[in-house]
Amino acid sequence: MRATFALTRYQLALLVRSQRWLAPLLLYAGLLAVGVRAGQPVLDSLGIVAAALLPTAAWLVRSCVTAEPQAARHCAAAAAGAWRAHLAGVAAGGVAALLFGCAALGVTAGVSAPRSTDGSAAVPLLPALGAGLCGVLACALMGAAVGALGNRPLIRSRGYAVAATLLGSVAALALGASPANAAVTGLVSGSARGEVQLPWAALLGAVAVAALAATAACAVAARRE
Amino acid sequence: MRLERVGRRYRAGGPWVLRGVDLDVRAGTLVRVEGGNGSGKSTLLRLVAGIDAPSAGRIRGRPRTRGYVPERFPAALPLTALGYLTHLGRVRGLGSRAAAREGACWLERFGAQQYAATSMRELSKGSAQKVAVAQALVGGPELLVLDEAWTGLDQPAREVLDSVVRERVAEGGTVAFVDHDPARLAGAPDVIVRVGTGGRVAVAGAGAAAPEARVAVAGAGDGARGPAMTRIEALGAPGAGVPEGLPASARCTLAPDGELLLTLPAAASDTALRVLLTARPGWHIRSVRPLEPFGERERDRV
Repeated sequence: MRATFALTRYQLALLVRSQRWLAPLLLYAGLLAVGVRAGQPVLDSLGIVAAALLPTAAWLVRSCVTAEPQAARHCAAAAAGAWRAHLAGVAAGGVAALLFGCAALGVTAGVSAPRSTDGSAAVPLLPALGAGLCGVLACALMGAAVGALGNRPLIRSRGYAVAATLLGSVAALALGASPANAAVTGLVSGSARGEVQLPWAALLGAVAVAALAATAACAVAARRE
Repeated sequence: MRLERVGRRYRAGGPWVLRGVDLDVRAGTLVRVEGGNGSGKSTLLRLVAGIDAPSAGRIRGRPRTRGYVPERFPAALPLTALGYLTHLGRVRGLGSRAAAREGACWLERFGAQQYAATSMRELSKGSAQKVAVAQALVGGPELLVLDEAWTGLDQPAREVLDSVVRERVAEGGTVAFVDHDPARLAGAPDVIVRVGTGGRVAVAGAGAAAPEARVAVAGAGDGARGPAMTRIEALGAPGAGVPEGLPASARCTLAPDGELLLTLPAAASDTALRVLLTARPGWHIRSVRPLEPFGERERDRV
């Protein structure tokens, strides 16, 4: 566990110092700039904050698992095991996405109007923030899952990996069975009805999907280099 | 640690890079891995280091803490040399301060302390290789795997690495290495693993009690007892180095008083004698005799 934390810290240091976080951040900021306006209903805006985080998280995970040259990856893998080294990359991407999401959550809650979509009902801000946090967590986890499945070691070619990450992100948002879709839908429909629903089930589903995806990617990372 | 019937191929149905490797390595053992280019030496080292997993068979009892030095370390990492070493030390369970202290010690020992605060991207190839060696040593791993780690190091750093390897083995650590220089750590390896054609592996080994058995064994395709070996004893000027141009299959032991012991396949002995006799300053040949390949065992006959 300690080795995984140390490796995640190492991966985060690589991410921060390589500035490979900047492009995903610009994507996220761009999506939010288009979707979120001051004075809009808070739950609608939080839905966008969560949804836009999914492709951002997938990209961040891609940045992390491809950050090291092969030689450095081998050194880290020898130090702690190949699967831990890979898990650390996925975790670092997820943590970075979560930081982005939480910052966006705070700003959005500050500038949005605490009322329902039609303006008829008041929406309490604190429960709305809780629901938004659940949505952000669910989307960060689903994005990390897409990033883990759509990149090395499962998909090694850069072209296919980028395409898989992109299509996977769209699918994870659009497909009705996806926990990310359920979480965002929960926020938006709550806004329409003027009541806050905590998307627990979606969050649990996202935890399970992310755990499975990370397990699969790390198992393959440990089997072939 | 124990390798049991270990095989590796890079795709299903593809050719076996390694096949049926059985190897028993005790703690405190120095293992030299030999073989031609592309024979699977690096693959074997990566399996031993736990970077890669076998496609067949299993590896048991791999030491928990391991260090690996790749041949080339073009680490365009956005960290300083000491920052990188600190991270790797933490991964091996050291606290931040202890990791930084140990990293700085290793940099100093390899003569790279002036690069501690230099970004890894700006390091020369040799300095980057020093960092690569240091990262494997931070935290004192029980198993050290060196894939031509000496390549790219300057002469003083090579000598430091030689003595570090001997220290690690004396302290009970296990070291496995590949190096293209046949004189590297001559006489020190306890086990010599020769990777032959078709990924088969031959193992020659002996404890310190029977140094004569530290001989190379050819690939599994050769005769049941390996090739006939010859021992050459020569005397040179005190302090003279091992002469250049000796056959790659020769195992050399050079004593400080200038006594050189060569153990090599009989077929290569003429070449070795020619090199010794034509070298300047010259070598006096004391004896040439055939060697009984006792204490040698080969595994994994097809």
